[in-house]
Amino acid sequence: MPYLYGDPLKCTGCRICELYCTLCHERALNPKKARLRVVRLEPAIDKPMACRQCADPPCAKVCPTNAITRNAKADVVIIDEAKCIGCGACIEACPFGVIWLHPEKKIAIKCDLCRACVPRCPVNALSVVTSEQFANKKRVDLVERLKPILMERIPIPRG
Amino acid sequence: MTFKYGGYAGQVLEVDLTRGKTIDKPLDEELAWDYLGGAGLCSRILYDEIGPRTRPLGPENILIITTGPLTGTLFPQASRHVVAAKSPLTDIWGEAHAAGHWGAELKFAGFDAIIVRGRSPRPVYLWIDDGKAKIKDARQVWGHDVYETDAIIKEELGDKSIKLLYIGQAGENLVKFAAIMNDLDRASARTGIGAVMGSKRLKAVAVRGTKDIPIAKPKNYMKLMDEFHDKMLADPFTQGRADYGTPSLVELMNEIGRLPTRNYQTGVFEHAEEIGGKTIRRKYLVKARADFACLQRCGRYTCVPEGSYAYIGGSPEYETLACVGSKCGIGDVEAILYAHYLCNCYGMDTCSLGGTIAWAMECYERGIITPKDTGGLDLKFGNHEAMVQLVHMIAFRKGFGNLLAEGSYRAAQKIGRGAEKYVMAIKKQELAGQDGRAQKSMGLGNATAARGADHLYGFPVLDEVGFEKAIRERFGAKYLPEIGEKLNPKYKGLMVKECEDFAVVVESVGVCKYGTMIPPTFFYPDILRALNVTTRMGLKERDLRRIGERIVNLNRMFNVREGIRRKDDTLPERLLKEPSPDGPPKGHVVELDKMLNEYYRLRGWDLRTGLPTPSKLRSLGLQFTLNHLPKRKRAMKVKKRKH
Repeated sequence: MPYLYGDPLKCTGCRICELYCTLCHERALNPKKARLRVVRLEPAIDKPMACRQCADPPCAKVCPTNAITRNAKADVVIIDEAKCIGCGACIEACPFGVIWLHPEKKIAIKCDLCRACVPRCPVNALSVVTSEQFANKKRVDLVERLKPILMERIPIPRG
Repeated sequence: MTFKYGGYAGQVLEVDLTRGKTIDKPLDEELAWDYLGGAGLCSRILYDEIGPRTRPLGPENILIITTGPLTGTLFPQASRHVVAAKSPLTDIWGEAHAAGHWGAELKFAGFDAIIVRGRSPRPVYLWIDDGKAKIKDARQVWGHDVYETDAIIKEELGDKSIKLLYIGQAGENLVKFAAIMNDLDRASARTGIGAVMGSKRLKAVAVRGTKDIPIAKPKNYMKLMDEFHDKMLADPFTQGRADYGTPSLVELMNEIGRLPTRNYQTGVFEHAEEIGGKTIRRKYLVKARADFACLQRCGRYTCVPEGSYAYIGGSPEYETLACVGSKCGIGDVEAILYAHYLCNCYGMDTCSLGGTIAWAMECYERGIITPKDTGGLDLKFGNHEAMVQLVHMIAFRKGFGNLLAEGSYRAAQKIGRGAEKYVMAIKKQELAGQDGRAQKSMGLGNATAARGADHLYGFPVLDEVGFEKAIRERFGAKYLPEIGEKLNPKYKGLMVKECEDFAVVVESVGVCKYGTMIPPTFFYPDILRALNVTTRMGLKERDLRRIGERIVNLNRMFNVREGIRRKDDTLPERLLKEPSPDGPPKGHVVELDKMLNEYYRLRGWDLRTGLPTPSKLRSLGLQFTLNHLPKRKRAMKVKKRKH
């Protein structure tokens, strides 16, 4: 299941992603209507946060109008705006705080994985990854780091 | 009711602190057309409302905070807001700018500008929440530094995403070069604007908003912004800025003999490498930290992990490294980093602080200031412990710090004994890190800037390291090669005039001088395209150029009314008479008169007095200023007859 990942080590907190997000979804500029948010905490933390498209989404379970469903074909969790009554139950249920109410329409909004922000991040801090890919990369990166030590122990003929 | 043009919030918040009242007023459409916003808006409102009888720290002074139509948008580096008032440091036009996230948030909260009048009987702060403004008690934060104030108010309002603008103790204590800070370590530093805020007993302005910045043509807008972002990122300059920020200028300026050292006695510093960009990146950088919509990311976090200078916070810019470092002969980079951190906490301009301490150090070494004056402090060049101690003493106006808190010009007046000779200030404001002997355009730009010594008003930098293509595009090929030669005074009047006109437009639309002045990526045509898809104002390039010229002339008229003339557009004697002793500019002084004549001629200003001519003012739609021109024609005729 792919989701939008924001790398806090790369992110500089410019919030260009928030602006592009609202431009695509709202045809206006307004970070409070963006489907992702960059959380800045001092000192020196900038972390883009967006829906993780859970396999078993708690938001969908608590939605009283069944407005939230997991679309298996697109592999994404979707909110049906027409069904949403703006009760905020999903917001309470989401463990990451990545659903919020649209300030005017008062319906729940979240990342729909449209990817408009990804290529526009000036420092490539955003990517769409699956947990499998994430774990793979982490695993390989770690072994890569250990490589010099491991290589010393492997009896490669050094002629 | 929505505003006629996109990009704007359409509302101005007027605050009367004496009566404790706030009112919203619609932004005047005509004002937006004539002055855009930002610095331009300030120039007109202040010109109309205050004047020679206004005491800078009296309740009658007005503090304006403005954004531009591009602030908070996707234009690269569209993060700027402008603050302006009559300056307590220079007693003339006072203006300062900062980036951060505050300006953008103000627009999302529904306001283009805030006009603050009067003086509150007790410390207050302003809370602007999505179009509604409240004046709140600030006694719990008065006396606290910027970092503490930020934490306390966010806690009180229960939201860490609120954006804040504030003063530290320096502003409360009316230090003449106090800054207004925002987002912790962004500073509207110059001209003592923080003291104006302190005099009004306004501690902070907190903002939060959920409103749109409307975009007139969203489809074209996205395409254009994609193009601009690609162009910005492709510029080779961008990666260098992102890696080093402005501190790498220390090494560059040292190489061209322009790094002011020991109060401008030379432009070459033996410890430049120790305090330069490479050292800071290698040993102290935490990460690059961008302001709103910023692709350049010259902002950064740094940290000294241990010792008496330990801190974590914003990183100094080149100007701080030069002013607090080389100008004071200080090569201990951790001391400079820490002094910078303290200046952010207390809210002080590092340029004027460093300039004032450097002046005191030279006077001390020459025996003009003695240990009796300093309270035993050994003010030799390079004494970093004394420098750091002075930062505290100035912010709290303790002992010798109380005198230095007045700035070098006033302190020298008080000390006498020839101390005035070593004041490196123009119109009472200290020079930043710019030795005009090594770059003549910068010498002229500092002399003509409306807010006193100021490298940013015109920011002529294209002759610094050979931007030949941009020079050809911006000034014309016929002026090459002389205009691009930094030690050649030729055509520098033209360069400074054109740069000033463009720089005020940049500060009026709400974007950064990085990306517009340097690297010279975006020029009038680009700003114009952005403005027209954002606002649908239908401006033409000649309108934009005229707006720039109008603002510069209006700033000039503000100063003319305060008595500023050609005699004031000058440089400290050292830069005019003492040849630079080291490096490439060795033997050079600033040939100011020659450049100034060219500048005035191009401006349409009187060569003898430096006054704008009535015809120039009329052509820019500034008829309302004509009354404030001294009646000089008759006086001149009388004089001529006498001869």
